[in-house]
Amino acid sequence: MNEKRSALFTIIVIASVIVVFTAADLIQKDRLFSETENRVLAARPEFSLEALLWEDYTEKYEAYLTDQFVSRDKWVAIKTYMDLALQEKEIGGVYLGSDGYLIERHLPGDYSAVQESKKIALLDKLVWEWDAGVMLVPTADNILTDKLPRYAPYYDEKQLLDQVESHVGEEHFIDVYTVLQEHAQEEIYYRTDHHWTSLGAAYGYDAWAAYTGRRGGRYGAEDMELVAEGFLGTLQAKVNLDMAGDPIYYFPETLKRPLKVTYDLKVETDTCYEASHLDTKNKYGFFLDDNHAFVEIETGYPNHHTLFVIKDSYANCFIPLLIPHYEKIYVLDPRHFRGRLFEFMEKYEPEGGMDVLVLYNCIHFLEDFAYIE
Amino acid sequence: MVFSSIVFLFRFLPLFFLLYYLVPERMKNLILFLGSLIFYAWGEPVYVLLMLFSTVVDYVHGRLLERLRGKRRAKLVLLSSVVINLGVLCFFKYADFLIGSLNAVLGTKVPLLSLGLPIGISFYTFQTMSYTIDVYRGQARVQRNLLDFGVYVAMFPQLIAGPIVKYRDVEKSMHHRRITLPDVSEGLKRFCIGLGKKVLLANNIGELWAFVSAMDLRRISMLTAWLGIVAFGFQIYFDFSGYSDMAIGLGRMLGFRFPENFNYPYISASVTEFWRRWHISLGSWFREYVYFPLGGSRRGLPKQLLNILVVWMLTGIWHGAGWNFLLWGLWFAFALMLEKLFLGRLLAWLPKGIGILYTLLVALAGWVLFALETPAGIWSYVKAMTGTGVSLLDRQGVYLSRQYLILFLVALVASTPLAHRLTERLRGSRTGFHIALYRFGEKFIPAGLLLLSIAGIVDASYNPFLYFRF
Repeated sequence: MNEKRSALFTIIVIASVIVVFTAADLIQKDRLFSETENRVLAARPEFSLEALLWEDYTEKYEAYLTDQFVSRDKWVAIKTYMDLALQEKEIGGVYLGSDGYLIERHLPGDYSAVQESKKIALLDKLVWEWDAGVMLVPTADNILTDKLPRYAPYYDEKQLLDQVESHVGEEHFIDVYTVLQEHAQEEIYYRTDHHWTSLGAAYGYDAWAAYTGRRGGRYGAEDMELVAEGFLGTLQAKVNLDMAGDPIYYFPETLKRPLKVTYDLKVETDTCYEASHLDTKNKYGFFLDDNHAFVEIETGYPNHHTLFVIKDSYANCFIPLLIPHYEKIYVLDPRHFRGRLFEFMEKYEPEGGMDVLVLYNCIHFLEDFAYIE
Repeated sequence: MVFSSIVFLFRFLPLFFLLYYLVPERMKNLILFLGSLIFYAWGEPVYVLLMLFSTVVDYVHGRLLERLRGKRRAKLVLLSSVVINLGVLCFFKYADFLIGSLNAVLGTKVPLLSLGLPIGISFYTFQTMSYTIDVYRGQARVQRNLLDFGVYVAMFPQLIAGPIVKYRDVEKSMHHRRITLPDVSEGLKRFCIGLGKKVLLANNIGELWAFVSAMDLRRISMLTAWLGIVAFGFQIYFDFSGYSDMAIGLGRMLGFRFPENFNYPYISASVTEFWRRWHISLGSWFREYVYFPLGGSRRGLPKQLLNILVVWMLTGIWHGAGWNFLLWGLWFAFALMLEKLFLGRLLAWLPKGIGILYTLLVALAGWVLFALETPAGIWSYVKAMTGTGVSLLDRQGVYLSRQYLILFLVALVASTPLAHRLTERLRGSRTGFHIALYRFGEKFIPAGLLLLSIAGIVDASYNPFLYFRF
C-alpha cells in the first residue's frame, strides 16, 4: 500500500507541473512584443489545408507556442542562470568580462585573409582617389584585454591595422589603437553596448588631432556632461541579464555656436544631438539621431573647411567633436546609401577641395564597408 | 512532433493521456492509434500515408502467410514483403545517394529526386519487417485486427527514434494491458530523466561541437579537436539514449514494456561489448535477421568474419545515406574482426581500464567519420587530433576547456552507472533516513529536471533533432 501511495504522490508531483502550466498557458493572452528580449514575438499562424500540407504551418505554430508560452521571460531567465552556473563566461556570442563589462566576441577564424584583402583593396581605392584619412577603431575585445575571461580568444585587429597602414601609407593612417591602448583603464567603452563612449571618442579625437598636426587634449573627462543614465545597449539585449546600465555623456562645447543639421536632405534641426532617444531603449541614438544615410552639418565656424565622412555608427559620437574645425561636415553611411559614391562626393566638393575621412570600427569595416564608385 | 517541444509537452501529452486513461480498455487501442497518427502527421502531414501503406502491406502479408503456412509459396510471400519494405526504404532514403554516386563515377548528370526523408522510416520499416519474418518463422502469431496491428507500427513513443520493438515483444500487451500506478509513476520519472538528458546535457554540450565543427578545421589545435569530438560523443549519446528513455517511459505509461536500448556504452571494455550496450535494439535486429541467417559464428572463422563485415556495412548505411556512414560501419567491422582474431583475448587479459580506453578511442575515431561528412573535413580533423601540422594547444582550446569543464564533468558522471547504483542502494536500504531520501528524490529530482528542461525548450536557441536521417 505504501508503494502505491508513494507512486501516486510521484505522479501528482510530476503531472502537476505539466497540468498547471498547460492550464496557465491556455488562459493567458498573447503578447506582441517582448521588452526583455527586445523583439517582436511570433503570432498565431493562419490555418488552411494548404498551409498544413505544403507551407510548414506546424513549424510556425510551434514557434508561436514557444514564443507565447506562459511567463516566457521567467523561463528565459532560468535558462540564463543555468548557463551562468555551468559555463558563466559567455552567452550568445558575448563575453562576460570582469568589472561588469559585456564584450562582443569576434573569433580569430571569423574573418579570412581573403576578406581582409578585399576590404583593404576597396579602401585603398577610396584613399588614393580622395586623399582620404583612415580611422579604424578597434573594438573592446582588443583593447580591454585584461577584462576578458581568461584565455578568451579574439580576432587580432592589430594585425589588420598593420596591413591597412602598410597599404594606405602612414600619411593616410590615423592610429587610434595606440591611443586607446594607453587609456584602456578608463571608461572608453560602454559596459552594455558595443560602441565606444564619448570619452573613447575624445581620445580618438587626440589621435585625429595628432594626424592633422593639431594639438590634442581639447576634450577631457572633466568637460563632459551627463545626459542620461541606465543605458542598456545591444550586448545587454543579447545576454538579457539584470544590469545597472551605462551613463551617457556628451561634450557641451560642441554646441557652443549655432548649428544647422539636415538629415537625409529633408529634416532640418539645430542640434547634432537628439534628446528624444534618451527616453527609449536605444539611447545611443542621441548622437546624430541614430543612423541616417546622409547628414549635413553647417557649423558656426566660417573657416571655409569642408569634411566628408564615410562612416559607421562608431562615428556618431565622434563627428560632433570635429565641429570647431570645419564650416561644413557631410556624413555618409554607405549601409543606407544607394548610389554612386564618387559622383555623390563630387557634387558636394567645394572649389578648394575637401578633407575626406573614413571612420569605422574594425569589425564593421570587415563586415559592412562597401560602396559603388 | 518531437518530445522536447512545447506542443508535445503542453498540448499533446496532457490531452492524449487524459483521453487514454478515461476511455474503457477496448477503446484504448483506437485512441492510441489516432493519437499516434496526429503525432506523426504533425511533422509529416504527407508521409503519414506512406506509413499507413507500410502498415497495410505487412498486415496483408501476415494474413497471407497464415493462410499459406507450411506451403512453398509462403516463401514467396515473405520475399515480397521484404522486397516492398526495402524497396520503399531504398527509394526514399538511398535513391539520391545512389544517383549522386553514379553521377560522380560515370560523369553522368541524372537529376536527383530531392525527396525529403520521411521521419522514422528506418525505424518503422524495420519493425514491420520483423513482424512478417517472425510470422513466417512461426515465432509470432498473426495479428488479424488491422487496428491492433496499426497500433504496433504507429505507436508514437518509439515511432520516430526507436527503440525498434519486435512484434513478439509487445504481442501480449496489444490486447491486455494492466496499467498500475507504479507503471505510470515509473514511466513519468523515466520520461523526465530522458528529457533532461536531451535538453540539459545533449543540447548544451552539442553547442560546443556545433562551434568547433563550424571553425576552419585546418587551423584548429589538437586540444580543440579532441574537445570537439568528445563533445559530439556526449551529445549523440545523451540525445539518443535520452530519446529512448522518453520512449520507454511513455510506453510504460501506456502499459507497454519496451526493451532497453542503451546500457552505459562508454564503460565498455571492448568494441564487442560496446555494441551490446549501444543502440541495443538495432544490434539485436541485425543479429537476429541478418547475422544468424547468414550463419553467424557457426560456419568457421572466415565465414564469421565475412558476416561481421556484411552486418556492419549495413549498420553503417542504415544510419544515413552517405559514404562516411559506410566507412563508419567498416571501421567498427575492422575493430570487431580484430577482436575476434586475437585482440579480444588480449583485452580480457589486460587491466579493464586499458580496454575502456581503447574502446573510447575507437568510438571517438568513429564519431569523426560519423559527424563529418566530407573526406576533406575528416582528413583535416584526423590530422588535428593526431597533432600533425597544428599546434597542440592554443588560447581557443584552453578557453573552451575552461568554459565547458563543469558540463564535461557532469556528462562524464552521467555516462556511468554511478547515479543508478546510488539510487538502487538507497531504494534497497533499510535505514529510515535512506528510504525517506529516496522517496523525496524520486519525486522532486525528475520534477526539477522537467522544470529546467522546460526553461531550456522555451529559450531554444539550439534544439536539433539528430535522427532525421536514420
